[in-house]
Amino acid sequence: MTADPGETPTGPPGAGMVDLTADPEAAAADIPPALVAQSLGQYLRAWWLRVRGGNSGVLPVVLAIVVVAITFQIVTPEHAFLRPSNLVYIFGLSTVYMVLAMAETVVLLLAEVDLSVGAVALIGGVIAFKLVQQPGPDWPWWAAVLAALVCCGLIGALQGMLTAWLRIPSFVVTLAGFLLFSGILIIVLGGADASVNVSSSVPNQRVIYDMVQGLIVPVAGWVALAVVVGAAGTALWLRAAARRRQGLAAPPVSLTAIRIALVALVGVAVVMICTVNRGTSLVTVEGVPWVIPIVLVVLGAWTLVLQRTRFGRYVYAIGGNPEAARRAGVSLAAIRIWAFALCSATAGLGGILLGSFFYGEYSTNTADPGQLVLYAIAAAVIGGVSLFGGRGKAIHGVLGGLLIGGIAYGVSLLNLGELATPLEYILPGGVLLAAVLVDVLSRRGTGSVTRV
Amino acid sequence: MSDHARRTSDGEVPVTADPGETPTGPAGASMVDLTADPEAAAADIPPALVAQSLGQYLRAWWLRVRSGNSGVLPVVLAIVVVAISFQIANPKFLSAQNLVNLFEQSTVYMVLAMAEIFALLLGEIDLSVGLVMVLGSVVVAELVQPSGPDWPWWAAIIVALLACSAVGAIQGSLVARLKMPSFIVTLGGLLILEGVAILVLGGTLVGIGNSRFTNEVVLYDIFWGRFDPVVGWILLAVLVGAAGTGLWLRDASRRRHGLETPPRSLTAMKIVLMTVAGIAVVAICNVNRAHFGTIEGVPYIIAIVLVVLAASTVLLQRTRFGRYVYAIGGNPEAARRAGVSLPAVRTWGFVLASLTSGIAGLLFASWQVSLTTNIIKTANSYVLLAVAAAVIGGTSLFGGRGKTIHGVLGGLVIGGIYNGLYLLGVSSQWIDVVVAAVLLAAAIIDVLSRRGAPGQR
Repeated sequence: MTADPGETPTGPPGAGMVDLTADPEAAAADIPPALVAQSLGQYLRAWWLRVRGGNSGVLPVVLAIVVVAITFQIVTPEHAFLRPSNLVYIFGLSTVYMVLAMAETVVLLLAEVDLSVGAVALIGGVIAFKLVQQPGPDWPWWAAVLAALVCCGLIGALQGMLTAWLRIPSFVVTLAGFLLFSGILIIVLGGADASVNVSSSVPNQRVIYDMVQGLIVPVAGWVALAVVVGAAGTALWLRAAARRRQGLAAPPVSLTAIRIALVALVGVAVVMICTVNRGTSLVTVEGVPWVIPIVLVVLGAWTLVLQRTRFGRYVYAIGGNPEAARRAGVSLAAIRIWAFALCSATAGLGGILLGSFFYGEYSTNTADPGQLVLYAIAAAVIGGVSLFGGRGKAIHGVLGGLLIGGIAYGVSLLNLGELATPLEYILPGGVLLAAVLVDVLSRRGTGSVTRV
Repeated sequence: MSDHARRTSDGEVPVTADPGETPTGPAGASMVDLTADPEAAAADIPPALVAQSLGQYLRAWWLRVRSGNSGVLPVVLAIVVVAISFQIANPKFLSAQNLVNLFEQSTVYMVLAMAEIFALLLGEIDLSVGLVMVLGSVVVAELVQPSGPDWPWWAAIIVALLACSAVGAIQGSLVARLKMPSFIVTLGGLLILEGVAILVLGGTLVGIGNSRFTNEVVLYDIFWGRFDPVVGWILLAVLVGAAGTGLWLRDASRRRHGLETPPRSLTAMKIVLMTVAGIAVVAICNVNRAHFGTIEGVPYIIAIVLVVLAASTVLLQRTRFGRYVYAIGGNPEAARRAGVSLPAVRTWGFVLASLTSGIAGLLFASWQVSLTTNIIKTANSYVLLAVAAAVIGGTSLFGGRGKTIHGVLGGLVIGGIYNGLYLLGVSSQWIDVVVAAVLLAAAIIDVLSRRGAPGQR
């Protein structure tokens, strides 16, 4: 067990029992820096060893985001890529990829795959939209969203049962699920030409409409930021202090301070960008879109579930070595079924956000479920989730989704004419291959097995 | 993925007379004293090895079926069930006109499923077959455009197939040499090919339906052309004669050399069955199926599918390459230790998958007549149908078990379901639901039959 289950130790089995003094470089690469570092300098050195050892975490995707941002800023006409209005739009565009990638991450951690997330997401969206229709069910928005998530969760549980109990490969179960739910989607929607809308003029529907389109008043944005950073900073500081008091491994004080400062800095930057008026001279458009806190809440929830609960530890254990987990008394079937259920429920939320992004309209043309799932898997893998199970975090899905959305939007900004559409496919495909290549090569560098 | 772990932990793979039928016995079963438990031992061995008479052969075969090695039996039963149910629901289903129609529609699924089987046998997956098919169809159509390159049809076909094979070689090398998971390599390949296809199409409509240009007519006739009824009968006679003589002579020579052979009566029955099936197909196709005028004769594509089937069957069952494919699919580590070059065979497997997808692309281009970017959406659903057809036909997802005939039969089931439900006026989304259910059922049968087999989990 390491302090942080999201970072699977890459060393050979039993590395934890090796005499640490024997080969400090090799041993240090296997252990989270927090365990050995006493000062900031030591911590950074330990971290760099880990990166060189192939356990690079979010570093590659962050670098990729920076490279993509700089490149598009240079090549787009009028250097428009990093304009506040574009940045906010990119976040909205990326939302569905981020949320679906987080959903896919939990399944990938188990060394399974869910090909049905795209279709399930769209079903979730259509169910929620249908339930708030005014001549119709007219449910309160929260009940509609809840019902959609429960429906999606049940779909996931069903697929999980087929995978976990009958041991049919998840690839086939969810492939059938993809076909099945793509069909059911159209049936729920009411035909291939049907569409369903939520309007911003109906108060109950407006909540769903505003999930991506709605903006938080600038002042409220700053207040919320202060509260969030204050709470997160205090919690981070107190936890580190408590660990230190009890003699547990804790990062150096300076590192905790740097982390809190970074969170505050990023928060201020995001709120500042969103507070710039991005409307025309006639209409003022300013403020943080609701979708940013929503994505942060999903990210926070998934991070908590995966890093701080027994369920999360079991997920990593099964992904790392199912047989070892089974012998340690973990119920493989139960964890797998829950993982598929939670994956599908999260996907359902992504579908609702997708509808909101498209100005509250859902039709069969809204999104292609096949493409959604490809992008979701690509986003997770590009973000740093391993396809072989046991390695990855929710934040990887968010960063990978942002990268894919950024590329898609950046290409559309260029005046490429006929080249634009093909590049929207070719670039993510190329990035996906590059990401997997890095994953495979970095694992090879550590000397651990890349594939059975 | 966990499948890999499962596969490698399954026992060793003894060489059998027929590599398409993986022995289901535990490691070392071939060394077990055959007299010890005749039932259990017989179930592990191809019937040809123990049977001396037709009765013995059938009993041995039935034991194998009961132990999970059922071969094409489930899919043939599925075809019968599909045919009977749709015939009851709509008497037009088994009319000559609709049967030819159904077969024509199924051919693209069949060829794509055969392509997918090359990857599945290796224990890999190729998600890009649909888009490789699109690439082949787009390239061949673009190259014969009179306003464009205006190449002769044969040159266009060769270049299209080479382009597809090149894609397979690249993907295969990434999988085999860099050890990247085939699932992701072909997923990335799919995305990139989607872009390439849009690029090649250039946002316009590319057609091959103009009867003024010979090159377009040849491509058009791949799908829509027909043999003259008389020619159809002659070809059938030649084909059945050649195949029957070949089968008979091979068995006779095996018997002369003292090798194990199926009983003579069985060889005769096989030849008779082949003849009857052939006569039925030609007779159905030679019925005039036009409302006005005459449309009769065997479509060219039936012959094309048979050629692809025969070529891939010979390659997989009768060559060293084919044996290596089954060996790797059964147990890669054992194959490696036996001296098989895994990277080379795996790369060639992907090349063959893409080449076969390219052939499907020729059929597809001819079928569609005019190509727009809409075909990409169609192609994306075809990947799933290709995997479904292979699995429904009886090819295992875990590698090492299956034949290309499974792709043809599975494709026929899927084509039959689509055609039958369409005749009943069922909307396309419900058809997807039914196909998904059939795929799931096939996967469950695959998993359960492996579990029921002795010596396996």
